[in-house]
Amino acid sequence: MALTAEVLGMLAFTLAAFWGIATWALVRTMRQESRKVALLEQQDRIDTYSPKALAQLREWVEANPEDPLAEEARERYNECLDALEETDSQFYDWSEEDIQSLERL
Amino acid sequence: MTSSEAKTARAEWGTRFGFLMAMLGAMVGAGNIWRFPYVMGENGGGAFVLAFLALLFVLAVPGLMAEVALGRYTKKGVIGAFRDVLGRGGLVGFGVVVLLVNVALMSYYSPLIGWTLYYAVHSLLFTFTASGFEAVEFMDALFANSALMIGLHTVVMGSIAAVLILGIRRGVERLVVYAVPALVIALVIMTIRGLTLDGATEGIAFTFGVQWEYLTYSDTWIAALGQALFSTGLGWGIALTVGSYLREYDDVPLGGGVFTAIGESSIGILAALAIFPVVFAVGLEPDAGAGLAFVSLVQVFPEIPLGGIVAILFFVGFFLATFTSGVVITEVGVTTLAEETRFDRTQTTLGLCGVIWLLGLPSAYSADILDYLDFVFGNWGLPLATLAIIGVIGWAMGPERLRLLAVNRNAGIFVGRWWNPVIKYVVPAVMIFIMAYYAYDSFGTAEMYGGVAVLVGLPVIGYVVMSIAEGGERGGGGESEPTDVTGGDD
Repeated sequence: MALTAEVLGMLAFTLAAFWGIATWALVRTMRQESRKVALLEQQDRIDTYSPKALAQLREWVEANPEDPLAEEARERYNECLDALEETDSQFYDWSEEDIQSLERL
Repeated sequence: MTSSEAKTARAEWGTRFGFLMAMLGAMVGAGNIWRFPYVMGENGGGAFVLAFLALLFVLAVPGLMAEVALGRYTKKGVIGAFRDVLGRGGLVGFGVVVLLVNVALMSYYSPLIGWTLYYAVHSLLFTFTASGFEAVEFMDALFANSALMIGLHTVVMGSIAAVLILGIRRGVERLVVYAVPALVIALVIMTIRGLTLDGATEGIAFTFGVQWEYLTYSDTWIAALGQALFSTGLGWGIALTVGSYLREYDDVPLGGGVFTAIGESSIGILAALAIFPVVFAVGLEPDAGAGLAFVSLVQVFPEIPLGGIVAILFFVGFFLATFTSGVVITEVGVTTLAEETRFDRTQTTLGLCGVIWLLGLPSAYSADILDYLDFVFGNWGLPLATLAIIGVIGWAMGPERLRLLAVNRNAGIFVGRWWNPVIKYVVPAVMIFIMAYYAYDSFGTAEMYGGVAVLVGLPVIGYVVMSIAEGGERGGGGESEPTDVTGGDD
């Protein structure tokens, strides 16, 4: 029995959608892990948020200053800021201008 | 309840790979091997794949991110995590519900692991390719031999206890980093063998043939929904527990969400490729459940070249899939009870495995009891646990808080605000729908009454237990104060 083009196409799509994405995620997360380990060996700490995530964290703290978790959020924001200021290499895609523009909460 | 301060520092996964394999090892179980391929073929093949993939990304990936993130954020087992969010009191009993569901799940899953162990041993003895072998009689003889079934259940729970006593790194991690890749390799080799057989293309056509009209059938979506939620183990406390052992700088959403949900499902796809080509190549009808693994496939092995080797690959892989799930499911209870009681990890492991062994005796004795419990807990107990965990995150902790404080912290991918309504509204609504659907579908049956007992009984038990336990400790200077974050954030 010869397989139709539709069956072969779906087989290819399924393999790409599942094994492709799973492999991509595995390789990406393992590479990130290696990079984090290398950075931590060099400088003892790394930035904990991406620029977009840190901006949203700040936005939330400013919008919810009385929230029970606002203080913890502030600490996490400032912890990332400290790491950015005190380290030479960043894990996330931070530019020097981005870092200079950040203010403590 | 004692303070965990009196105990040693909390363990962590030794490697990122160990965490990822623990997640996969927990989620890949019997359902991936004996259910997924058949459900896929019976529900439109490629059409089912599309529905399943969409539901994975809409529900399972965000849900697993939330559960792992709560574990990493609190660094506690289910009860401790619930207490951190809800504060002390009876509502922490929802954590007890998750714990009880896991114990119940393991009580009937352990005898099932015993079946796979039995078949794995016989595959190594080349029983299935011996002359005169009869698959149906062989299976019936196993199920009729209660002493053997109880013995297998005992061996399984004893082995799980032995692994868990060794701890997170030396026990669980050391097992899964070898067992999960071994399962994948076994299925890959079996796939290659199957695809090179004459007539294998019929199996491919059955599984991957596209019948687009199935996308318009509600049954297809219900089947895809069930597979997406139950196969990924969303909300059972497993992801929370595994996530609680993550290290400070570990990512949550990429590994705990995307990789776990898609990787776990990929093994189901691989199982379809491994199983159906050989089943169709020898002219057998596809089946689901125990019939597929223990009857149909077993009849295949004598018919194909190198069948004895393929049988070893399949059944040893199948055993590893179920055994790693059993280990990590039991770890949910061990982690929680070791934190919440005065017992150390070894004592907790022995006590819990003993209780599970005892509760599992009826299921080991009778496959009918196992089927009944599987139906009741699968359809109502597990969705209840999911509702408890996702409900606490969505409606008490608040998804926005968790997203900002844990999900996006050290994350490998950025998770945007779209995630919040999925956790707060979509996943809980789907779980309520599933429970209602199964109740409607089984209305008036013994299974439905069992489901009602689970839905009402477990929360009441949990509430009473934690009201008494937490009330008794209020004046005792316990470690955890209410975090006052109830009400959610959006």
